Amino acid sequence: MREIDMSERIFGGVLLLVSIAGIWIGWDLQPPFSYEPVGPRAFPLLVLFLLGVCAVTLMMEKHSDTTWAPGPVLVRIGVLFLIVLAYALLFDKLGFIIATALMTIPVARFFGGSWRQSVVGGIGMAVGMFFFFDRLLDVALPTGQWLNQILG
Amino acid sequence: METLALLMQGFAVAGTPENLMIALIGCFLGTIVGLLPGLGPINGVAILLPIAFAMKLPPESALILLCAVYAGCEYGGRISAILINVPGDAGAVMTTMDGYPMAKQGLAGPALSMSAMASFTGALVATVGIVAFAPLLAEWAIAFGPAEYFVLMVLALSCLGGLVGDSLPKAMTACLIGLLLSTVGIDSNSGVYRYTFDMLHLQDGIPFIVIVIGLFAVSELMLMLQNAHTVSEPISITGRLMFNMKELMLAKWTMLRSAFSGFFIGVLPGAGATIASAMCYAMERRMAGKDHQFGKGDIRGVAAPEAANNASANGSLVPMLTLGVPGSGTTAVMIGALTLYNITPGPTLFQDQPVIVWGLIASLFIANVMLLLMNIPLIRVFVKFLSIPNWLLVPGVAAISLVGVYAVHGTTFDLILGTLIGGFGYLLRTMNFPIAPFILGFVLGDMMEQNLRRALSISDGEIAVLFASPISIGLWITAAAMLIGPRLMKALENRRHRAVSAPA
Repeated sequence: MREIDMSERIFGGVLLLVSIAGIWIGWDLQPPFSYEPVGPRAFPLLVLFLLGVCAVTLMMEKHSDTTWAPGPVLVRIGVLFLIVLAYALLFDKLGFIIATALMTIPVARFFGGSWRQSVVGGIGMAVGMFFFFDRLLDVALPTGQWLNQILG
Repeated sequence: METLALLMQGFAVAGTPENLMIALIGCFLGTIVGLLPGLGPINGVAILLPIAFAMKLPPESALILLCAVYAGCEYGGRISAILINVPGDAGAVMTTMDGYPMAKQGLAGPALSMSAMASFTGALVATVGIVAFAPLLAEWAIAFGPAEYFVLMVLALSCLGGLVGDSLPKAMTACLIGLLLSTVGIDSNSGVYRYTFDMLHLQDGIPFIVIVIGLFAVSELMLMLQNAHTVSEPISITGRLMFNMKELMLAKWTMLRSAFSGFFIGVLPGAGATIASAMCYAMERRMAGKDHQFGKGDIRGVAAPEAANNASANGSLVPMLTLGVPGSGTTAVMIGALTLYNITPGPTLFQDQPVIVWGLIASLFIANVMLLLMNIPLIRVFVKFLSIPNWLLVPGVAAISLVGVYAVHGTTFDLILGTLIGGFGYLLRTMNFPIAPFILGFVLGDMMEQNLRRALSISDGEIAVLFASPISIGLWITAAAMLIGPRLMKALENRRHRAVSAPA
């Protein structure tokens, strides 16, 4: 027998809390003086109220159509997310080339590339894209703080 | 006649060497994005939009690029559908039904060329349809006041909410989350900071590009890991490449019928290429009489869905261009592109920005001729791209996406926010929340609020103004019908099924 998935209910609960908190915060969104009948808080409060209603409906839904990936895959997806997050954090600091190469190697490994393919592909792609975007298309990319220091 | 003169002007815009080059690149990239399973038009448009913006392309060129990509995707999706039985984009699902059997019988060449021809027919009929109907619709809509406009956007959201996904609360939740996120930032009317949590970077609101890349690139990569399947070897194209006269004669009415129905389905907000191709396939199958081969490799089975999905993709540009109200996720992203360039979408677009509108329409004609030429003689080139391994594709997409986000504002904050939204998008998509209403809500949120407030300012706070004119009442009724109708029909059908099967 399959365990009943609670994802929707949990999500609905979180959403309900968010909408209550949002209304709480939004209640004070009043300008010191106003020229129009509808101020800045009406629309967000309306949306939040409806969101709360939807959240309650979600919590009451009896069946769930969520199927989470099996555990090990889920872990890999989580790690992939963290890698992209780290990439976002280091994009500016390390510079495009190094950050991209560092991101590509583990991601390529996840998707079945061999070590050799991943390393060569990662470095090649990082350098190639840098020249393509930064030099050819004039889309400015970060060279990285370390390089800037060396170059002065 | 005036239309024709404007169209000629459009060709002058689209025919400049740069714009022709851009259309060509867009078609090429679009076909590739389309044929790669996992990436569809919305991903292609989402990833390329920030790059186009960062390259400082003028707005008409950026839109030409995006539309060429959009058109190209609809062509590309069929290649993987026919050769590896995996639809390259959602609109090509039905093409697998007969395309793959044909390829297995050694008829990959005719299947591909006929579906390219059908795609071209569909796109051409729809583009002519745009020229014929769009100016009329825009003229009609120009009389809309803020109240009508607000209700029109409610209608667009309900159409999408009613048709996409299986669960109404889920579609509405997605839409409301989008609307809510659109309110973040400084309120332009009163100068009040809303939900910025004292973060400097949120003062101007959440950048559109950040949301788009998060939802359609980052979360897509996570889904690709989840659905990682071993891609089978594509069937190689042997024998003749072209369809013959007999096949063309067999499929010609199918193509035309599907092109017309596809266009009208595409114009309706909410119903996109997927619905159009499924409906036209079913219709043709029913009309085919007794001795059809549908499901086993009938050439009409590839012609119908391809004509329909291209026609509906082009048709969905009509509400976007004339009303400023996108009917699909992809056109929502394009509306966002317009706002990036500080162009207000809406019925006045045809008057204020004829260069953009007609340049875009003319470039659709040009792009489709390019696509036809690319997709028949050069088909073998594209087949090679089917073997791009995921280990190169996924990090490549990740890198290009972040390049785009970074290029717009150059802050790490945007990159991190985009990634977090991507993670959230993955959770939503795993729980089967439709994403198109989310992006539509985000894109329309600001316009909706502005029009609501303007309408209520005019009426001095009287809510009744929203129900005052016959147009708005009609729009409200349609909105309610769109929201409830499809589900009511489904419920009734289930009941009938049960009633039929019960007495046995």
